[in-house]
Amino acid sequence: MSKTILGAYCLSFSYGHKRPALDEISIELMQGGIMALLGPNASGKTTLLKALAGLFPRNEFSGIVRYCGLDFFGYPHSERAKRVVYVSQDMRAEFPLTAYDAVMMGRLCYGARLFVHASRADHDAVQSAMERCACWELRSRMIDALSGGERQLVLFARALAQGARVLLLDETLSRMDLHHQAMAGRILRGLSAQGYSTVLVAHDVNLASEWADTCVMMQKGRVVASGPVKEVFGAGHLGGLYPGAEITVAPSPVSGAPKVYFGRR
Amino acid sequence: MAKPTDRKQPVRMMIAGVLAWIVAIVFALKFGATGGSDPEIVAQIRLPRVILASAVGMGLSVAGATLQALFANPLCEPYTLGISSGAALGAVIGVALGLEMSMAGLAGSAFLGALVFAFVLYLIASRTRSASMSLLLAGVVMGFFGSSLVALWMALADSSGVQGAMLWLMGDLSRARPGGSVFTFTAVLILALMVWSRWRALDAFLMGEDTAGSLGVSVSAVRRRLVIILSLLIGLCVSAAGMIGFVGLVVPHFARRQCGSVHLGLLPACAVWGAAVLVLADLVARVAARPYELPVGVVTALVGTPLFMWMILRRGRDVT
Repeated sequence: MSKTILGAYCLSFSYGHKRPALDEISIELMQGGIMALLGPNASGKTTLLKALAGLFPRNEFSGIVRYCGLDFFGYPHSERAKRVVYVSQDMRAEFPLTAYDAVMMGRLCYGARLFVHASRADHDAVQSAMERCACWELRSRMIDALSGGERQLVLFARALAQGARVLLLDETLSRMDLHHQAMAGRILRGLSAQGYSTVLVAHDVNLASEWADTCVMMQKGRVVASGPVKEVFGAGHLGGLYPGAEITVAPSPVSGAPKVYFGRR
Repeated sequence: MAKPTDRKQPVRMMIAGVLAWIVAIVFALKFGATGGSDPEIVAQIRLPRVILASAVGMGLSVAGATLQALFANPLCEPYTLGISSGAALGAVIGVALGLEMSMAGLAGSAFLGALVFAFVLYLIASRTRSASMSLLLAGVVMGFFGSSLVALWMALADSSGVQGAMLWLMGDLSRARPGGSVFTFTAVLILALMVWSRWRALDAFLMGEDTAGSLGVSVSAVRRRLVIILSLLIGLCVSAAGMIGFVGLVVPHFARRQCGSVHLGLLPACAVWGAAVLVLADLVARVAARPYELPVGVVTALVGTPLFMWMILRRGRDVT
Protein backbone atom coordinates (compact mmCIF):
# COMPACT_ATOMS: atom_id res chain seq x y z
CA MET A 1 0.00 0.00 0.00
CA SER A 2 1.39 3.40 -0.96
CA LYS A 3 2.13 5.93 1.76
CA THR A 4 1.20 9.56 2.08
CA ILE A 5 4.01 11.71 0.74
CA LEU A 6 2.49 15.17 1.21
CA GLY A 7 -0.42 16.10 3.42
CA ALA A 8 -2.16 19.28 4.51
CA TYR A 9 -4.12 19.19 7.73
CA CYS A 10 -6.66 21.82 8.87
CA LEU A 11 -5.06 24.41 6.61
CA SER A 12 -6.59 27.89 6.77
CA PHE A 13 -5.31 31.01 5.05
CA SER A 14 -6.68 34.38 4.08
CA TYR A 15 -5.37 37.32 2.05
CA GLY A 16 -5.77 40.30 4.40
CA HIS A 17 -9.19 40.55 6.01
CA LYS A 18 -11.12 38.96 3.18
CA ARG A 19 -12.98 35.67 3.54
CA PRO A 20 -10.60 32.73 3.96
CA ALA A 21 -9.02 31.56 0.72
CA LEU A 22 -8.50 28.21 2.44
CA ASP A 23 -10.90 27.13 5.15
CA GLU A 24 -9.82 24.12 7.27
CA ILE A 25 -8.56 22.14 4.27
CA SER A 26 -7.20 18.63 4.76
CA ILE A 27 -5.90 16.57 1.84
CA GLU A 28 -3.37 13.78 1.39
CA LEU A 29 -1.29 12.99 -1.68
CA MET A 30 -0.10 9.40 -2.05
CA GLN A 31 3.34 8.44 -3.27
CA GLY A 32 3.08 7.80 -7.00
CA GLY A 33 -0.37 9.38 -7.14
CA ILE A 34 -1.71 11.95 -9.59
CA MET A 35 -4.34 14.13 -7.98
CA ALA A 36 -6.52 16.52 -9.95
CA LEU A 37 -7.53 19.65 -8.10
CA LEU A 38 -10.71 21.07 -9.62
CA GLY A 39 -12.95 23.97 -8.83
CA PRO A 40 -14.32 27.23 -10.22
CA ASN A 41 -12.28 30.43 -10.31
CA ALA A 42 -11.31 31.79 -6.87
CA SER A 43 -12.03 28.50 -5.14
CA GLY A 44 -8.54 28.44 -3.54
CA LYS A 45 -6.71 25.94 -5.77
CA THR A 46 -3.63 28.08 -6.42
CA THR A 47 -3.50 29.19 -2.78
CA LEU A 48 -3.59 25.54 -1.69
CA LEU A 49 -0.75 24.62 -4.07
CA LYS A 50 1.38 27.53 -2.81
CA ALA A 51 0.70 26.55 0.81
CA LEU A 52 1.68 22.94 0.02
CA ALA A 53 4.89 24.20 -1.59
CA GLY A 54 5.74 26.22 1.53
CA LEU A 55 5.55 29.56 -0.26
CA PHE A 56 3.67 31.37 2.51
CA PRO A 57 5.47 32.31 5.72
CA ARG A 58 4.67 29.87 8.52
CA ASN A 59 2.99 32.55 10.64
CA GLU A 60 0.52 33.55 7.91
CA PHE A 61 -1.61 30.39 7.97
CA SER A 62 -2.91 27.90 10.48
CA GLY A 63 -2.71 24.13 10.18
CA ILE A 64 0.25 22.02 9.14
CA VAL A 65 1.85 20.65 5.98
CA ARG A 66 3.68 17.34 6.35
CA TYR A 67 6.16 15.74 3.95
CA CYS A 68 6.60 12.00 4.65
CA GLY A 69 5.10 12.62 8.07
CA LEU A 70 7.48 15.47 9.03
CA ASP A 71 6.66 19.16 9.33
CA PHE A 72 7.52 20.49 5.86
CA PHE A 73 8.52 23.86 7.33
CA GLY A 74 11.21 22.13 9.36
CA TYR A 75 13.23 21.71 6.14
CA PRO A 76 15.52 24.52 4.91
CA HIS A 77 14.27 26.25 1.75
CA SER A 78 16.71 24.46 -0.57
CA GLU A 79 15.73 21.07 0.87
CA ARG A 80 12.04 21.89 0.38
CA ALA A 81 12.79 22.70 -3.27
CA LYS A 82 14.41 19.28 -3.73
CA ARG A 83 11.20 17.63 -2.50
CA VAL A 84 8.30 19.75 -3.74
CA VAL A 85 8.15 22.03 -6.78
CA TYR A 86 5.37 24.52 -7.56
CA VAL A 87 4.98 25.36 -11.24
CA SER A 88 2.80 28.29 -12.30
CA GLN A 89 0.98 28.55 -15.62
CA ASP A 90 3.39 31.06 -17.12
CA MET A 91 6.81 32.51 -16.49
CA ARG A 92 7.80 36.14 -16.33
CA ALA A 93 9.63 37.25 -19.43
CA GLU A 94 10.63 40.86 -18.73
CA PHE A 95 14.34 40.01 -18.74
CA PRO A 96 16.39 38.49 -21.57
CA LEU A 97 16.91 34.86 -20.65
CA THR A 98 17.34 31.80 -22.84
CA ALA A 99 15.09 28.77 -22.40
CA TYR A 100 18.18 26.83 -21.32
CA ASP A 101 18.99 29.31 -18.55
CA ALA A 102 15.35 29.26 -17.45
CA VAL A 103 15.47 25.47 -17.07
CA MET A 104 18.87 25.67 -15.37
CA MET A 105 17.17 27.64 -12.59
CA GLY A 106 15.62 24.34 -11.54
CA ARG A 107 19.12 23.28 -10.42
CA LEU A 108 19.53 26.29 -8.13
CA CYS A 109 18.72 24.31 -4.99
CA TYR A 110 21.65 21.96 -5.69
CA GLY A 111 24.01 24.99 -5.50
CA ALA A 112 27.26 24.15 -7.28
CA ARG A 113 30.41 26.06 -6.28
CA LEU A 114 29.93 29.74 -5.54
CA PHE A 115 31.18 31.33 -8.74
CA VAL A 116 30.65 28.36 -11.08
CA HIS A 117 27.61 28.56 -13.31
CA ALA A 118 26.71 24.86 -13.27
CA SER A 119 28.24 21.45 -12.75
CA ARG A 120 28.34 18.71 -15.39
CA ALA A 121 25.50 16.96 -13.51
CA ASP A 122 23.42 20.16 -13.76
CA HIS A 123 24.02 20.42 -17.53
CA ASP A 124 23.07 16.77 -17.99
CA ALA A 125 19.92 17.11 -15.87
CA VAL A 126 18.83 20.16 -17.87
CA GLN A 127 19.49 18.52 -21.24
CA SER A 128 17.69 15.36 -20.18
CA ALA A 129 14.63 17.28 -18.92
CA MET A 130 14.45 19.47 -22.03
CA GLU A 131 14.76 16.50 -24.37
CA ARG A 132 12.08 14.66 -22.43
CA CYS A 133 9.74 17.65 -22.79
CA ALA A 134 10.61 18.04 -26.48
CA CYS A 135 11.95 21.57 -25.98
CA TRP A 136 15.71 21.02 -26.35
CA GLU A 137 15.61 22.73 -29.74
CA LEU A 138 14.25 25.85 -28.01
CA ARG A 139 17.31 26.08 -25.73
CA SER A 140 18.92 29.11 -27.35
CA ARG A 141 15.67 31.04 -27.86
CA MET A 142 14.81 33.92 -25.55
CA ILE A 143 11.80 33.17 -23.37
CA ASP A 144 10.03 36.37 -24.39
CA ALA A 145 10.11 35.14 -28.00
CA LEU A 146 8.41 31.83 -27.17
CA SER A 147 4.68 31.15 -27.49
CA GLY A 148 2.62 30.50 -24.37
CA GLY A 149 2.63 26.75 -25.03
CA GLU A 150 6.40 26.67 -25.62
CA ARG A 151 6.96 28.57 -22.37
CA GLN A 152 4.88 25.96 -20.57
CA LEU A 153 7.07 23.21 -22.02
CA VAL A 154 10.11 25.06 -20.66
CA LEU A 155 8.41 25.43 -17.27
CA PHE A 156 7.59 21.73 -17.23
CA ALA A 157 11.20 20.91 -18.14
CA ARG A 158 12.42 23.15 -15.31
CA ALA A 159 10.22 21.23 -12.87
CA LEU A 160 11.68 17.92 -14.10
CA ALA A 161 15.25 19.29 -13.90
CA GLN A 162 14.59 20.26 -10.29
CA GLY A 163 14.08 16.57 -9.55
CA ALA A 164 11.52 17.05 -6.77
CA ARG A 165 9.43 14.04 -5.78
CA VAL A 166 6.21 16.09 -5.74
CA LEU A 167 5.10 18.28 -8.66
CA LEU A 168 2.43 20.90 -8.05
CA LEU A 169 1.27 21.95 -11.51
CA ASP A 170 -0.93 25.05 -11.55
CA GLU A 171 -2.56 25.07 -14.99
CA THR A 172 0.91 24.29 -16.33
CA LEU A 173 -0.43 22.29 -19.30
CA SER A 174 -3.25 24.71 -20.20
CA ARG A 175 -1.63 26.40 -23.22
CA MET A 176 0.04 23.35 -24.70
CA ASP A 177 -1.38 21.91 -27.91
CA LEU A 178 -2.98 18.46 -27.80
CA HIS A 179 0.22 16.72 -28.89
CA HIS A 180 2.23 18.25 -26.05
CA GLN A 181 -0.57 17.83 -23.49
CA ALA A 182 -0.63 14.12 -24.27
CA MET A 183 3.17 14.01 -24.04
CA ALA A 184 3.09 15.77 -20.66
CA GLY A 185 0.39 13.36 -19.46
CA ARG A 186 2.53 10.38 -20.47
CA ILE A 187 5.52 11.90 -18.66
CA LEU A 188 3.41 12.31 -15.52
CA ARG A 189 2.28 8.70 -15.79
CA GLY A 190 5.90 7.56 -16.21
CA LEU A 191 6.97 9.59 -13.20
CA SER A 192 4.07 8.17 -11.22
CA ALA A 193 5.36 4.65 -11.93
CA GLN A 194 8.73 5.75 -10.52
CA GLY A 195 7.11 6.99 -7.29
CA TYR A 196 6.80 10.68 -8.15
CA SER A 197 3.53 12.36 -7.17
CA THR A 198 1.63 15.17 -8.87
CA VAL A 199 -1.13 17.59 -8.01
CA LEU A 200 -2.64 18.88 -11.22
CA VAL A 201 -4.79 22.00 -11.22
CA ALA A 202 -6.74 22.22 -14.45
CA HIS A 203 -9.85 23.95 -15.71
CA ASP A 204 -9.94 21.34 -18.45
CA VAL A 205 -11.78 18.66 -16.50
CA ASN A 206 -11.32 16.09 -19.27
CA LEU A 207 -7.55 16.55 -19.17
CA ALA A 208 -7.71 15.99 -15.43
CA SER A 209 -9.91 12.91 -15.68
CA GLU A 210 -7.66 11.39 -18.34
CA TRP A 211 -4.44 11.53 -16.34
CA ALA A 212 -5.38 11.70 -12.65
CA ASP A 213 -6.15 8.79 -10.30
CA THR A 214 -7.80 10.84 -7.61
CA CYS A 215 -9.66 14.09 -7.59
CA VAL A 216 -10.31 16.85 -5.06
CA MET A 217 -13.03 19.37 -5.80
CA MET A 218 -12.89 22.77 -4.12
CA GLN A 219 -15.35 25.58 -3.72
CA LYS A 220 -14.94 28.80 -1.69
CA GLY A 221 -11.82 27.52 -0.01
CA ARG A 222 -13.30 24.21 1.09
CA VAL A 223 -13.10 20.64 -0.15
CA VAL A 224 -16.53 19.59 -1.40
CA ALA A 225 -15.61 16.15 -2.72
CA SER A 226 -12.58 13.91 -2.92
CA GLY A 227 -11.77 10.35 -3.94
CA PRO A 228 -11.01 8.30 -7.05
CA VAL A 229 -11.78 10.18 -10.27
CA LYS A 230 -14.52 7.79 -11.43
CA GLU A 231 -16.36 8.03 -8.12
CA VAL A 232 -16.13 11.79 -7.75
CA PHE A 233 -17.05 12.52 -11.38
CA GLY A 234 -19.88 10.00 -11.24
CA ALA A 235 -21.40 11.44 -8.08
CA GLY A 236 -22.69 14.59 -9.80
CA HIS A 237 -20.50 17.08 -7.93
CA LEU A 238 -19.41 18.80 -11.13
CA GLY A 239 -22.91 20.14 -11.72
CA GLY A 240 -22.77 21.81 -8.30
CA LEU A 241 -19.33 23.31 -8.98
CA TYR A 242 -20.24 24.69 -12.38
CA PRO A 243 -23.99 25.50 -12.28
CA GLY A 244 -25.30 26.52 -15.66
CA ALA A 245 -22.72 24.49 -17.57
CA GLU A 246 -25.31 21.71 -18.15
CA ILE A 247 -22.84 18.96 -17.49
CA THR A 248 -23.18 15.35 -18.57
CA VAL A 249 -20.61 12.75 -17.53
CA ALA A 250 -20.12 9.60 -19.65
CA PRO A 251 -17.26 7.10 -19.86
CA SER A 252 -14.76 7.56 -22.67
CA PRO A 253 -15.22 4.83 -25.32
CA VAL A 254 -11.42 4.62 -25.58
CA SER A 255 -9.95 4.81 -22.08
CA GLY A 256 -13.07 4.33 -19.96
CA ALA A 257 -12.18 7.47 -17.99
CA PRO A 258 -15.17 9.69 -17.22
CA LYS A 259 -15.60 12.40 -19.83
CA VAL A 260 -17.47 15.61 -19.31
CA TYR A 261 -19.79 17.09 -21.92
CA PHE A 262 -21.21 20.54 -21.40
CA GLY A 263 -23.13 23.33 -23.08
CA ARG A 264 -26.37 23.01 -25.01
CA ARG A 265 -27.90 19.60 -24.75
CA MET B 1 27.60 17.96 -25.16
CA ALA B 2 26.91 21.15 -27.06
CA LYS B 3 26.67 24.26 -24.94
CA PRO B 4 23.34 25.92 -25.77
CA THR B 5 24.21 29.40 -24.59
CA ASP B 6 27.38 31.32 -25.23
CA ARG B 7 29.04 31.41 -21.83
CA LYS B 8 31.97 33.35 -23.26
CA GLN B 9 29.83 36.39 -24.10
CA PRO B 10 29.89 37.76 -20.49
CA VAL B 11 33.69 37.30 -20.48
CA ARG B 12 34.02 39.17 -23.78
CA MET B 13 31.75 41.86 -22.38
CA MET B 14 33.94 42.11 -19.27
CA ILE B 15 37.13 42.42 -21.31
CA ALA B 16 35.57 45.10 -23.52
CA GLY B 17 34.37 46.89 -20.37
CA VAL B 18 37.81 46.81 -18.77
CA LEU B 19 39.36 48.19 -21.99
CA ALA B 20 36.72 50.95 -22.15
CA TRP B 21 37.39 51.75 -18.48
CA ILE B 22 41.15 51.97 -19.06
CA VAL B 23 40.70 54.24 -22.09
CA ALA B 24 38.29 56.44 -20.11
CA ILE B 25 40.77 56.66 -17.23
CA VAL B 26 43.64 57.64 -19.54
CA PHE B 27 41.60 60.44 -21.11
CA ALA B 28 40.18 61.53 -17.74
CA LEU B 29 43.71 61.85 -16.32
CA LYS B 30 44.98 63.68 -19.39
CA PHE B 31 42.20 66.26 -19.81
CA GLY B 32 40.58 68.49 -17.26
CA ALA B 33 39.22 71.95 -16.56
CA THR B 34 42.70 73.46 -16.71
CA GLY B 35 43.84 71.59 -19.78
CA GLY B 36 47.36 70.89 -18.49
CA SER B 37 48.88 67.64 -17.22
CA ASP B 38 50.72 68.92 -14.17
CA PRO B 39 51.64 65.81 -12.09
CA GLU B 40 50.39 67.54 -8.95
CA ILE B 41 46.98 68.22 -10.52
CA VAL B 42 46.78 64.67 -11.86
CA ALA B 43 47.69 63.09 -8.51
CA GLN B 44 45.71 65.34 -6.20
CA ILE B 45 42.64 66.24 -8.27
CA ARG B 46 42.09 64.07 -11.34
CA LEU B 47 43.14 60.69 -9.99
CA PRO B 48 40.91 60.85 -6.85
CA ARG B 49 38.09 62.01 -9.09
CA VAL B 50 38.61 59.10 -11.50
CA ILE B 51 38.68 56.65 -8.59
CA LEU B 52 35.50 58.14 -7.12
CA ALA B 53 33.72 58.17 -10.51
CA SER B 54 34.70 54.51 -10.98
CA ALA B 55 33.40 53.60 -7.52
CA VAL B 56 30.11 55.46 -7.92
CA GLY B 57 29.51 54.17 -11.46
CA MET B 58 30.25 50.63 -10.33
CA GLY B 59 28.06 50.95 -7.23
CA LEU B 60 25.05 52.49 -9.00
CA SER B 61 25.15 49.98 -11.88
CA VAL B 62 25.39 46.96 -9.59
CA ALA B 63 22.67 48.43 -7.36
CA GLY B 64 20.43 49.04 -10.40
CA ALA B 65 20.86 45.52 -11.78
CA THR B 66 20.23 44.04 -8.34
CA LEU B 67 17.11 46.12 -7.64
CA GLN B 68 15.71 45.17 -11.05
CA ALA B 69 16.11 41.49 -10.21
CA LEU B 70 15.03 41.79 -6.59
CA PHE B 71 11.72 43.39 -7.50
CA ALA B 72 11.46 41.68 -10.93
CA ASN B 73 10.99 45.02 -12.64
CA PRO B 74 13.33 46.32 -15.37
CA LEU B 75 12.50 49.95 -14.50
CA CYS B 76 13.88 49.75 -10.97
CA GLU B 77 17.07 51.59 -10.06
CA PRO B 78 18.18 53.63 -7.02
CA TYR B 79 16.84 56.83 -8.60
CA THR B 80 13.41 55.64 -9.81
CA LEU B 81 12.74 53.77 -6.57
CA GLY B 82 13.47 56.91 -4.55
CA ILE B 83 16.31 55.28 -2.57
CA SER B 84 18.75 57.90 -3.86
CA SER B 85 16.37 60.59 -2.57
CA GLY B 86 16.32 58.83 0.79
CA ALA B 87 20.11 58.82 0.84
CA ALA B 88 20.20 62.51 -0.15
CA LEU B 89 17.71 63.33 2.60
CA GLY B 90 19.83 61.38 5.09
CA ALA B 91 22.96 63.23 3.94
CA VAL B 92 21.18 66.59 4.28
CA ILE B 93 20.09 65.69 7.81
CA GLY B 94 23.72 64.69 8.46
CA VAL B 95 24.86 68.12 7.23
CA ALA B 96 22.24 69.79 9.44
CA LEU B 97 23.64 67.83 12.38
CA GLY B 98 27.16 68.98 11.55
CA LEU B 99 28.47 65.66 10.17
CA GLU B 100 29.63 67.01 6.79
CA MET B 101 33.24 67.24 7.91
CA SER B 102 33.49 63.49 8.35
CA MET B 103 33.25 61.19 5.30
CA ALA B 104 32.09 58.29 7.47
CA GLY B 105 29.54 60.48 9.25
CA LEU B 106 28.01 61.71 5.99
CA ALA B 107 28.06 58.24 4.43
CA GLY B 108 26.47 56.86 7.60
CA SER B 109 23.61 59.35 7.58
CA ALA B 110 23.08 58.79 3.82
CA PHE B 111 23.05 55.04 4.48
CA LEU B 112 20.38 55.48 7.17
CA GLY B 113 18.27 57.61 4.82
CA ALA B 114 18.62 55.00 2.04
CA LEU B 115 17.87 52.21 4.51
CA VAL B 116 14.64 53.83 5.75
CA PHE B 117 13.38 54.38 2.18
CA ALA B 118 14.50 50.91 1.05
CA PHE B 119 12.78 49.26 4.00
CA VAL B 120 9.53 51.10 3.27
CA LEU B 121 9.81 49.64 -0.27
CA TYR B 122 10.61 46.24 1.19
CA LEU B 123 7.46 46.38 3.37
CA ILE B 124 5.37 47.46 0.37
CA ALA B 125 6.86 44.61 -1.68
CA SER B 126 6.01 42.15 1.10
CA ARG B 127 2.46 43.46 1.48
CA THR B 128 1.71 43.62 -2.25
CA ARG B 129 3.62 40.41 -2.98
CA SER B 130 5.91 42.41 -5.28
CA ALA B 131 3.18 43.85 -7.50
CA SER B 132 5.64 45.66 -9.74
CA MET B 133 3.55 48.71 -10.58
CA SER B 134 2.57 49.40 -6.94
CA LEU B 135 6.21 49.17 -5.95
CA LEU B 136 7.40 51.48 -8.71
CA LEU B 137 4.66 54.03 -7.99
CA ALA B 138 5.51 53.91 -4.29
CA GLY B 139 9.18 54.45 -5.16
CA VAL B 140 8.43 57.41 -7.43
CA VAL B 141 6.22 59.01 -4.78
CA MET B 142 8.81 58.47 -2.06
CA GLY B 143 11.44 59.94 -4.35
CA PHE B 144 9.31 63.10 -4.69
CA PHE B 145 8.79 63.15 -0.94
CA GLY B 146 12.53 62.89 -0.23
CA SER B 147 13.40 65.50 -2.86
CA SER B 148 10.75 67.85 -1.47
CA LEU B 149 12.18 67.62 2.03
CA VAL B 150 15.66 68.30 0.64
CA ALA B 151 14.26 71.30 -1.29
CA LEU B 152 12.57 72.51 1.91
CA TRP B 153 15.90 72.32 3.71
CA MET B 154 17.55 74.32 0.94
CA ALA B 155 14.78 76.94 1.03
CA LEU B 156 15.27 77.43 4.74
CA ALA B 157 19.07 77.15 4.75
CA ASP B 158 21.67 79.88 4.48
CA SER B 159 21.63 80.93 0.79
CA SER B 160 25.43 80.78 0.46
CA GLY B 161 25.39 77.00 0.80
CA VAL B 162 22.41 76.42 -1.47
CA GLN B 163 24.30 76.54 -4.79
CA GLY B 164 26.78 73.96 -3.57
CA ALA B 165 23.96 71.75 -2.34
CA MET B 166 22.15 72.12 -5.67
CA LEU B 167 25.27 71.05 -7.57
CA TRP B 168 25.74 68.09 -5.23
CA LEU B 169 22.12 67.01 -5.75
CA MET B 170 22.61 67.03 -9.53
CA GLY B 171 25.70 64.87 -9.20
CA ASP B 172 29.05 66.32 -8.24
CA LEU B 173 32.38 64.51 -8.18
CA SER B 174 34.47 67.61 -7.52
CA ARG B 175 34.65 66.90 -3.78
CA ALA B 176 36.82 63.81 -4.42
CA ARG B 177 39.83 63.60 -2.10
CA PRO B 178 42.63 60.99 -2.34
CA GLY B 179 41.88 59.16 0.94
CA GLY B 180 38.10 59.40 0.69
CA SER B 181 38.01 58.11 -2.89
CA VAL B 182 40.08 55.04 -2.08
CA PHE B 183 37.85 54.36 0.95
CA THR B 184 34.69 54.67 -1.18
CA PHE B 185 36.14 52.50 -3.96
CA THR B 186 37.19 49.75 -1.53
CA ALA B 187 33.84 49.81 0.27
CA VAL B 188 31.89 49.71 -3.02
CA LEU B 189 34.03 46.80 -4.24
CA ILE B 190 33.40 44.78 -1.06
CA LEU B 191 29.65 45.49 -1.13
CA ALA B 192 29.46 44.63 -4.85
CA LEU B 193 31.22 41.31 -4.12
CA MET B 194 28.69 40.62 -1.37
CA VAL B 195 25.87 41.19 -3.85
CA TRP B 196 27.62 39.06 -6.50
CA SER B 197 27.90 36.10 -4.12
CA ARG B 198 24.08 35.94 -4.19
CA TRP B 199 23.89 35.69 -8.00
CA ARG B 200 21.88 32.46 -7.98
CA ALA B 201 19.14 33.92 -5.78
CA LEU B 202 19.02 37.02 -8.00
CA ASP B 203 18.52 34.81 -11.06
CA ALA B 204 15.58 33.17 -9.32
CA PHE B 205 14.06 36.55 -8.37
CA LEU B 206 13.79 37.41 -12.10
CA MET B 207 10.93 34.92 -12.23
CA GLY B 208 8.97 36.50 -9.38
CA GLU B 209 8.98 35.71 -5.69
CA ASP B 210 6.70 32.65 -5.80
CA THR B 211 8.95 30.95 -8.33
CA ALA B 212 12.06 32.04 -6.41
CA GLY B 213 10.61 30.44 -3.28
CA SER B 214 9.78 27.27 -5.19
CA LEU B 215 13.35 27.14 -6.52
CA GLY B 216 14.71 27.05 -2.97
CA VAL B 217 15.37 30.72 -2.22
CA SER B 218 14.46 32.07 1.20
CA VAL B 219 12.73 35.08 -0.34
CA SER B 220 12.27 37.35 2.67
CA ALA B 221 15.70 36.61 4.19
CA VAL B 222 17.61 37.18 0.93
CA ARG B 223 15.62 40.30 0.13
CA ARG B 224 16.18 41.71 3.63
CA ARG B 225 19.95 41.14 3.46
CA LEU B 226 20.23 42.58 -0.02
CA VAL B 227 18.17 45.65 0.93
CA ILE B 228 20.68 46.36 3.73
CA ILE B 229 23.70 45.85 1.44
CA LEU B 230 22.14 47.99 -1.31
CA SER B 231 21.27 50.75 1.16
CA LEU B 232 24.92 50.86 2.18
CA LEU B 233 26.00 50.88 -1.45
CA ILE B 234 23.59 53.63 -2.51
CA GLY B 235 24.22 55.63 0.68
CA LEU B 236 27.95 55.57 -0.03
CA CYS B 237 27.52 56.62 -3.65
CA VAL B 238 25.05 59.43 -2.90
CA SER B 239 27.03 60.83 0.04
CA ALA B 240 30.16 60.87 -2.14
CA ALA B 241 28.70 62.18 -5.39
CA GLY B 242 25.09 63.28 -4.95
CA MET B 243 22.22 61.98 -7.05
CA ILE B 244 23.27 60.57 -10.39
CA GLY B 245 20.45 59.03 -12.37
CA PHE B 246 20.34 56.76 -15.43
CA VAL B 247 23.65 54.94 -14.80
CA GLY B 248 21.77 52.37 -12.68
CA LEU B 249 19.16 51.98 -15.42
CA VAL B 250 21.01 52.24 -18.72
CA VAL B 251 24.14 50.23 -17.89
CA PRO B 252 22.27 47.09 -16.62
CA HIS B 253 19.95 47.22 -19.66
CA PHE B 254 22.89 47.50 -22.02
CA ALA B 255 24.76 44.68 -20.23
CA ARG B 256 21.69 42.43 -20.21
CA ARG B 257 21.25 42.85 -23.94
CA GLN B 258 24.85 41.88 -24.53
CA CYS B 259 25.35 39.02 -22.09
CA GLY B 260 21.94 37.88 -20.87
CA SER B 261 20.43 38.00 -17.40
CA VAL B 262 22.46 35.36 -15.53
CA HIS B 263 23.92 37.45 -12.70
CA LEU B 264 27.15 35.48 -12.50
CA GLY B 265 28.27 37.27 -15.68
CA LEU B 266 25.91 40.24 -15.59
CA LEU B 267 27.03 41.85 -12.32
CA PRO B 268 30.77 42.02 -13.14
CA ALA B 269 29.90 43.36 -16.60
CA CYS B 270 27.68 46.03 -14.99
CA ALA B 271 30.47 46.90 -12.55
CA VAL B 272 33.16 47.58 -15.16
CA TRP B 273 30.84 49.26 -17.68
CA GLY B 274 29.29 51.39 -14.92
CA ALA B 275 32.76 52.53 -13.88
CA ALA B 276 33.77 53.25 -17.50
CA VAL B 277 30.55 55.17 -18.25
CA LEU B 278 30.77 57.43 -15.20
CA VAL B 279 34.48 58.18 -15.68
CA LEU B 280 33.66 59.17 -19.26
CA ALA B 281 30.57 61.17 -18.22
CA ASP B 282 32.65 63.04 -15.64
CA LEU B 283 35.28 63.80 -18.28
CA VAL B 284 32.55 65.28 -20.51
CA ALA B 285 31.19 67.23 -17.52
CA ARG B 286 34.63 68.74 -16.90
CA VAL B 287 35.65 69.65 -20.45
CA ALA B 288 32.41 70.26 -22.38
CA ALA B 289 31.84 73.81 -21.08
CA ARG B 290 35.34 74.79 -19.96
CA PRO B 291 36.14 76.68 -17.79
CA TYR B 292 32.76 75.88 -16.20
CA GLU B 293 31.93 72.43 -14.99
CA LEU B 294 28.60 70.70 -15.65
CA PRO B 295 26.96 68.52 -12.99
CA VAL B 296 27.75 64.92 -13.97
CA GLY B 297 24.12 63.90 -13.28
CA VAL B 298 23.04 66.29 -16.02
CA VAL B 299 25.47 64.67 -18.48
CA THR B 300 24.30 61.11 -17.65
CA ALA B 301 20.67 62.19 -18.04
CA LEU B 302 21.26 64.08 -21.32
CA VAL B 303 23.13 61.16 -22.86
CA GLY B 304 21.19 58.40 -21.09
CA THR B 305 17.68 59.49 -22.09
CA PRO B 306 18.03 59.23 -25.89
CA LEU B 307 20.16 56.10 -25.50
CA PHE B 308 17.53 54.43 -23.37
CA MET B 309 14.75 55.45 -25.78
CA TRP B 310 16.72 53.92 -28.64
CA MET B 311 17.22 50.70 -26.66
CA ILE B 312 13.49 50.45 -25.90
CA LEU B 313 12.55 51.04 -29.54
CA ARG B 314 15.12 48.52 -30.75
CA ARG B 315 13.96 45.93 -28.25
CA GLY B 316 10.34 46.47 -29.31
CA ARG B 317 11.30 45.99 -32.96
CA ASP B 318 13.27 42.80 -32.13
CA VAL B 319 10.33 41.27 -30.26
CA THR B 320 7.74 42.14 -32.88
